[in-house]
Amino acid sequence: MKTILNIIMSAISRLVTVQKDFAFIKKPKLLKREKYLHIALNNSLEEAYNIISQLPFSDRILIEVGTPLIKIYGTDAISKIKSMTPVGTYIVADNKCSDLATKEVEMMSVAGANAATCLGVAPIETIDSFIEECERYGIDSMIDMMNVDNALLVLKKLKKLPTVVMLHRGVDESEFSKEKQIPLYQIKQIKGFYSDVLVAVAGGDTIKEVQRAIFNNADIVVVWKNFYQADGDTAQLATSFLKEI
Amino acid sequence: MLNKRKKYLQIAFNRSLDEVKNMITMLPSSEKIIIEAGTPLIKRYGTRCITEIKNYWESNIGKPGYVVADLKCMDRGSREVFAVANAGASAATCLGLAPTDTINEFIRECSDVNIDSMVDMMNIQFPFEILQKLKKLPTVVVLHRGVDENERNKEKQLQLDQIHRIKGTYGNVLISIAGGETERDLVRTFFNDADIAVIWRAFYEKPDKSKELAEGFLSKIR
Repeated sequence: MKTILNIIMSAISRLVTVQKDFAFIKKPKLLKREKYLHIALNNSLEEAYNIISQLPFSDRILIEVGTPLIKIYGTDAISKIKSMTPVGTYIVADNKCSDLATKEVEMMSVAGANAATCLGVAPIETIDSFIEECERYGIDSMIDMMNVDNALLVLKKLKKLPTVVMLHRGVDESEFSKEKQIPLYQIKQIKGFYSDVLVAVAGGDTIKEVQRAIFNNADIVVVWKNFYQADGDTAQLATSFLKEI
Repeated sequence: MLNKRKKYLQIAFNRSLDEVKNMITMLPSSEKIIIEAGTPLIKRYGTRCITEIKNYWESNIGKPGYVVADLKCMDRGSREVFAVANAGASAATCLGLAPTDTINEFIRECSDVNIDSMVDMMNIQFPFEILQKLKKLPTVVVLHRGVDENERNKEKQLQLDQIHRIKGTYGNVLISIAGGETERDLVRTFFNDADIAVIWRAFYEKPDKSKELAEGFLSKIR
């Protein structure tokens, strides 16, 4: 059964790769006036398949190939997950680049990602090079501000702005230091200074936190397994979320 | 496990897996060599590259060798460590810039699965401030000038002066220096009492000369 599934998957993946060469397939693009639900897949490709197959079809859903998946399966994880999703789905590679940006951006974009991530704590030289490379490869750049006190200070040092700034409370932090909050006030701060940049919020565990993020003007809300596990059915949750925003 | 009285040459590999295989086969069979699966390599091939590298190196030196997985962990400390330890890594790396909870979790899991923990101090001005916050010390502290920093900002220097300070305060920890690329850098690194010197560029640029390069570097280690 598994091998049949694998054969079907690889056939679809080949088809998608071939289709990529044709211009008539529109590249998914983030719009400034929309709100997006960003679903992070972190456990295994099997689980990723289960979750994806339950999701409603919407261009407001972004699918993220999480860091553990990339480190365990390599860039194959990106092309495989891309082949599981409907054609035209926006795929984020959460590579969390911290050095050698040129090489990483190339790898992620060749594997089919529409966006890649770089750490806000990385050297400024790396972030600058990351943003330049993303532009060169025609993919969106996302800067992950995990463990950065003031995201604005990092942005001010950059030569060019990224497409998305992600405010992020890590999984380990959320588990061990419950008092740490997602700095939602920074959303308005960032947007006040840089109106062109989109802001994503990651690290909310409850539906209430998601609502709060949207209420505070976030463009993208990132959720992962803990979030929808606690609240039951993934599909239902995604649908109600999309309705709400 | 690493011997505190010895000096090591850590070679980081970032080319394609086929090339890395050839390069490792060419290396002199020396226990002073540590093999590193670089971050781009892990992100390209996943954990299977660690297992393969481990096998190549084992068949070169005739026994299981020391392989570092340059994970640069930033979150989910335990999950990532478990995956690379399963693949056969002898050590893994975590970013010093990661949340303290992540570094603590990373060090705890490394000792649980019996591999060495390395904390990479890239882009950190005062490594002490990080070490002071930890519940337990890592096996190795990596003082690191990143590749992008090196290329775009020539003024940034390797923090060799930190080696003695860290060793003076925390006697048990090993120090690794990453970011120097020449034989002269290596001599300076060991002169300043580092335990491990990490080299990658020379090997990346001249993969065919891996044997000669490694012999050159090894001749500088006493």
